[in-house]
Amino acid sequence: MTVFQIILLVFLLVCAIAVSFSKNLLNSILIFMSFSLIMSILWVCLESPDLGITEAAVGAGVTSILFFATLKKIHAIEVEGTQEEAEDEQA
Amino acid sequence: MISEWIRFTLGATLLAIGIFIFLFELFGIYRFKYVLNRMHAAAMGDTLALSCFILGLAIISGFNFDTLKLILIIALFWISSPVSSHMLAKMEVETNEEIANEVSFETLEEVEKKEAEK
Amino acid sequence: MSRLKTKEEYEKTIGFKFRRWLYGEEDPYINKVEMVKQHHRHVEEKTITERMHEKQMHREYTYDVNRNKVLKTYSMLYRIASVVFVILIAALLVYNVSWLPKTGAAEKAVNNEVPQRYIENGLQETGAVNIVTGMILDYRAFDTLGESHVLFIATITVLILLRNNKKKATIAQISDRRFEPKNDSILQLGAKILVPVIFVFGIYVVLNGHISPGGGFSGGAIIGAGLILYVSAFGFEKTEKFFTERTYKVISFAALATYCIAKSYSFYTGANHIHSIIPLGQPGAILSSGLILILNICVGMVVACTMYTFYVMFRKGDF
Repeated sequence: MTVFQIILLVFLLVCAIAVSFSKNLLNSILIFMSFSLIMSILWVCLESPDLGITEAAVGAGVTSILFFATLKKIHAIEVEGTQEEAEDEQA
Repeated sequence: MISEWIRFTLGATLLAIGIFIFLFELFGIYRFKYVLNRMHAAAMGDTLALSCFILGLAIISGFNFDTLKLILIIALFWISSPVSSHMLAKMEVETNEEIANEVSFETLEEVEKKEAEK
Repeated sequence: MSRLKTKEEYEKTIGFKFRRWLYGEEDPYINKVEMVKQHHRHVEEKTITERMHEKQMHREYTYDVNRNKVLKTYSMLYRIASVVFVILIAALLVYNVSWLPKTGAAEKAVNNEVPQRYIENGLQETGAVNIVTGMILDYRAFDTLGESHVLFIATITVLILLRNNKKKATIAQISDRRFEPKNDSILQLGAKILVPVIFVFGIYVVLNGHISPGGGFSGGAIIGAGLILYVSAFGFEKTEKFFTERTYKVISFAALATYCIAKSYSFYTGANHIHSIIPLGQPGAILSSGLILILNICVGMVVACTMYTFYVMFRKGDF
């Protein structure tokens, strides 16, 4: 266990706690993204680079995009201004 | 032997420059309050500091197959990071209604009017 | 009608009845069950409002913390109990972890003959240089098949839940793409350069699954991410030229069926001690290691299609 890995593990803990304590849903998704990124580096440190690639692509990439799309669908992200523009375009 | 030392110092200098730029970037992110200002600081680290790091690593490791991979990483970052920064900035400009309070900018019509006057 | 039989004759045949039964044109209730038209139950508007008011009063009285002492103590207890519960679980887990042997210790319970066999004979028996791929796609291929099916079932569930059946709605109405910067030339240029590179890297990871780290899942996820980047740059109109719901169906079905057939053959020959006709090839070459390459490609295709379909369903709800 090198110093680098210990720092990463502390980061991981901080991220995991911050995800659950963040009030803003968008913020918690962004923190979750960084959690996945740190996790992927840790997988490479644990000598399983294939898991690292998968974690980076799925955890940090696709899952967070799906979370964003869901938040947009349920209108949890405030979209200012563009709503009226879109309605103007349709009219 | 002396060439080894020159190579090592060159690589180490580049690494040190990269670390300095990263420190400035971190300072800028916490110092500025507005999104676009912060992004200006953050984008610098993604392109310049990272390329400094990777060039330093490439020089230290010597010219072999890994150098090509490192150069590919630089190319990937130089393409992807500015594009993502551009998208974020565009999102901010398009969705923030009170952007005039934060920055001063000219719309396209104003620019065209000025050019017509010239 | 160009048939040889007339329509009345044709309606008496078994074939017509079977077709009618298959396509559900026959209503099983007509002429068989006596049906009475139901009267609409009329309720006065006044009663409804009264009932709702009563309900509201009850609710307010029940959930008023100042009056309801039981609820107050319960909510306090609930908070304390949840914190205690979480701390207890965490402490239990940490206590258990502290008893685990050190990583790589010889007296570890997993250090029995199974991994020894994998490490010693893996290369000869599977032909894969990467021992992990040899394990998940040869020794434990059933497990990977289940994982692929889990992905398939997840996609089907998403299709059921989020499918948008509004035929008349235009693309602008269905999708939320209007909130995004449209036709951004910088993003399009970036995607034009990056997407082929991402695809090539994904295909490289899939094809080299038995030689280097990686494999179907990693490569498929990379290809799916590249597809999502392409969609967000160029819009759904461009991708629908080559990727529709039909494409998804065909690719997933073909990949899963190939996986099943290939692995059935392998298990059949393995269980009956018959010599398999598929050669293991030369370790290190791409076209080697028997079925593992084919299985890797199958898994990669399923994963890539699943990622892309998830994204499309969440964004637009239709192909």
